[in-house]
Amino acid sequence: MGQDKIEDNLSDKISKTSLTRRTVLSGAAAIGLSTVARAQQPAEVKVGLIVPLSGIYTRPGQVMRMGAEMGIEHINAQGGIKSLGGAKMKLVVIDCGDTTEKAKNAAQRMVAQEPDLVAATGSYLSSFTLAVTEVTERAELPVLTLSYSDLLTDRGFKFIFQTAAPASVQSQLGLPELMKLAETASGKRPKTVAMLMDNTATSVATAKALKEKLLAQEGLQLAVEEVWTPPLSDATPLIQKVRSARPDLLLFMPNAVSDAKLGLEKINEFGLGQGKIPTVSFSITIAEPDMLQSVTPEVVQGIMTIVANWGCKGHEDIIAELKAKYKEPWATQNVISTYGDMWLMKAALEKAGKANRLAVADAFRTLDGGPAKYYPGGQLKFDEKGRRVGAGVVIVQWQNGVPVTVFPSDLAQSSPFWPKKS
Amino acid sequence: MRGWRSLLPILVFTALYAAVSLSVTNSYYQLVMTLVPVWAIFGLSWNLLSGYTGLISFGHAAFFGVGAYTVVLCQIHFDLSPWVTIPIAAVLGGIAGLLIGFPTFRLQGHYFALAMLAYPLAILYVFEWLGLQEVTLPIKRDNPIAYMQFADHRLYTLLALAMMLGTILLTRAIERSRFGMALLAIKQNEAAAEAAGINTLAWKLRAVTLSGAIAGAVGGFYAVVLLVVTPQSVFGMLVSAQALTVAMFGGVGTVWGPVIGSVILIPLAETLNAEAGSRFPGIQGVIYGLAIICVILLAPEGLYWKARDFLRKRSALPAAATQSAPNVPVAAPVPAAPARVKRSVGTGDVVLEVRNLSRSFGGLKAVQDVTFKLRQNEILGIIGPNGAGKTTLFNLLNGFLRPGTGEILLGGREMSGRKPHELCEAGIGRTFQIMRPFLRMSISDNVVVGAYVRAKTDVEARKLAADAIARVGLSEIAERIAGELTTKELRLMELARALAGQPRILLLDETLAGLGHDEADEVVAVIQRLARDGMTIAIIEHTMQAMVRLVDSFLVLDHGAVIVEGEPEAVTRDSRVIEAYLGKKWVAHAPH
Repeated sequence: MGQDKIEDNLSDKISKTSLTRRTVLSGAAAIGLSTVARAQQPAEVKVGLIVPLSGIYTRPGQVMRMGAEMGIEHINAQGGIKSLGGAKMKLVVIDCGDTTEKAKNAAQRMVAQEPDLVAATGSYLSSFTLAVTEVTERAELPVLTLSYSDLLTDRGFKFIFQTAAPASVQSQLGLPELMKLAETASGKRPKTVAMLMDNTATSVATAKALKEKLLAQEGLQLAVEEVWTPPLSDATPLIQKVRSARPDLLLFMPNAVSDAKLGLEKINEFGLGQGKIPTVSFSITIAEPDMLQSVTPEVVQGIMTIVANWGCKGHEDIIAELKAKYKEPWATQNVISTYGDMWLMKAALEKAGKANRLAVADAFRTLDGGPAKYYPGGQLKFDEKGRRVGAGVVIVQWQNGVPVTVFPSDLAQSSPFWPKKS
Repeated sequence: MRGWRSLLPILVFTALYAAVSLSVTNSYYQLVMTLVPVWAIFGLSWNLLSGYTGLISFGHAAFFGVGAYTVVLCQIHFDLSPWVTIPIAAVLGGIAGLLIGFPTFRLQGHYFALAMLAYPLAILYVFEWLGLQEVTLPIKRDNPIAYMQFADHRLYTLLALAMMLGTILLTRAIERSRFGMALLAIKQNEAAAEAAGINTLAWKLRAVTLSGAIAGAVGGFYAVVLLVVTPQSVFGMLVSAQALTVAMFGGVGTVWGPVIGSVILIPLAETLNAEAGSRFPGIQGVIYGLAIICVILLAPEGLYWKARDFLRKRSALPAAATQSAPNVPVAAPVPAAPARVKRSVGTGDVVLEVRNLSRSFGGLKAVQDVTFKLRQNEILGIIGPNGAGKTTLFNLLNGFLRPGTGEILLGGREMSGRKPHELCEAGIGRTFQIMRPFLRMSISDNVVVGAYVRAKTDVEARKLAADAIARVGLSEIAERIAGELTTKELRLMELARALAGQPRILLLDETLAGLGHDEADEVVAVIQRLARDGMTIAIIEHTMQAMVRLVDSFLVLDHGAVIVEGEPEAVTRDSRVIEAYLGKKWVAHAPH
């Protein structure tokens, strides 16, 4: 309104000059004014998404981007950041590539070229997140992450906030639940277990926790333990060992879809599938939509995995929108967590009351946002290490071609079934 | 003086780069400015081994990764600063080089390249097995400078630049010393290098040790810059490839190559990541790959050599017009080959004595029971039809082959079965039927390779080389590039290379092959002059006419055995010789 008046005055003053010049000047005046307006009350607040969008990890990166875009859209549609006068959130997407060096360089580019970012989230693989946060820590930019390596929040960093339960805790939280599940469903506790794992950082950390403490705690005896280096070329020797040992439980821990496919097909071929030996995984790989491109729903039926997050009860709208908009059949942890990260950033911005990264970081540290809506268990609150207080896990089970949440019960989309030995 | 002047471009480049890096304030550009010298150093390290010796290493990441993990693990477990651990990384990289080089240098060509490829990949799995998938350099908030953690990123660039300058100077010093000459000789022809008195295994081990040390140091520094070390990021295939890419793009076998390659490729890749990658994720890899393919197709030896050849051609064109006239008489005037001067033969001391020498390849008796004596100042012609075992005999004499049975006495000492470079040191020099010149080097550089076996210092080697060049009459064109020479000049140059090692005996393998009549005469004249000056010579030759004028006596071989031995006149009339050369029916026509 006021802007129009000034513009009119300006155009009156310069009405004698040529049309083009007038247009240019009035345009310039408008830009100048809007800058002034922004200084008082930011029209938009930039947040970063630094994930792999090229190379072999492109797919999870794209999925995280979907979650972020949906989150931002919903926040802006509901009036943006209220404490900043309804400022809109704007997503800045940065490709962190497929190597640690590229991730580090991309992070440096992000902090150098986007000085008005107030927070960021990323970067899928914990190696990338490690490299990215080495840069953001020095630039004092707060970063939320779904990566679960313990190392991330063991470095004494002040600007990293881990929303998922760290790897060492995940199996600790998941395994006892799994045992309960087995006991209630089948009437007896599993006694022996076989463990087949690749040697990536997550699997190694999980296996360490299992072997050092959890298996003994649950009274499980490790009958078979085999490790492979991805890519797995032939699963026959691994599954042969499982068949001859006949354990009550099989922990199968691949981190590549191709490895998961080879292993599961071989399990079926040996007649161990579909519940003959209940199979449990510890990563999202085995529940990715890509799996169905390689194997039939029967092969994966009943397989469970313990993950940091998943589309749960209460996320129906998001899952429906994801299906309609992006043709994704279900919401993996990458979608839900990144979606939730946007809301978490919004909460911090509301608390900080200014679009400033130090203020936002401080808001994350002191936030007490009550029960978490888009992360399983716990609160929207971080401890002094930057770990989310009470972060829990989700158990997902393949049921009729869809991996659904079966634990915890308040978030479960369906009841679990325990495959019975025939 | 000459050294200092040629240093100027390097110093100017370093100073300019430092000035530009100091003016950059954007931390991302600072990081790119740091990575350029890092990859240049890694490329230089690769170049030191593979560029100069021609033994392509696909596994330089092995040394790089050892360095990176040394720095990270030492800081985590022993709280040691990179200031201390980077030199340690260099030492460990060097040791890794030695350990890997020793068994692997038994292999050549593709086999060597493939074996090298295996090392970093194997080590990668070892580090994964050790549970070192992800390690980070602990942040030091209290005393960052002592741990090489600078708030001002420009310091990293300056540090990397200093390391690069050091590496360039070291490489240049090597390039100009007998070390570099030995490596170049190995690259051109390992056998010829051995024959010229170079202990090839020892030099290759020195090269791989030094190369590993440089790679280890820069790997350690890279860990400081990257802050996170994973097996893939330091032992991965892409790391080894990076060394090859920058060196091959810029130019192999020169200090400028890796530097040029890195200065162009690293910022290019980053710009593509930043600009194209943000719009079309993944496109950066495609453009980058295409750019490399184009350059390799247009300049297969790298940009540096392409540019140098281009500039040479341009400066040579106007010069050629004025210089063409004096260029014509290439060799020093040599008196036309005189008829053989009858010299007193058979009276000198025996320099080389061969007794019952035999060697078989499976069922083929290539050399059987050969016995002869070579006296001081004698010219012995070894003749025989193709496949008679002449070259095999030479290969036995200079150590390329081990004799099956028999003795080789050099000055009374038993020498059979020794390595070629040892025999060369003992005084056996040789040339080859198929010439192996070092085409990119000048005549004097080619010849100096042969002089190191005698010379203690570089200066002395240059003097011996100059003498040898003068003796074959090539002094006027000593600075010409071997690639521009005629066959005759190349033959003379090879002769000079053998002479530069001051041998007691010269073995000349078909030195006159491929020469026209007049040219052959000129070379014969040179050989005669050498003989007059006291050289002892054994020569293999097909051209009978030239030989008859040249030699004092003949040794005729057929099917590996001596059939006749004696003075030229007698031998050429011998019916067995005629039969061996021409077949039975010509024996009847021969004058008796």
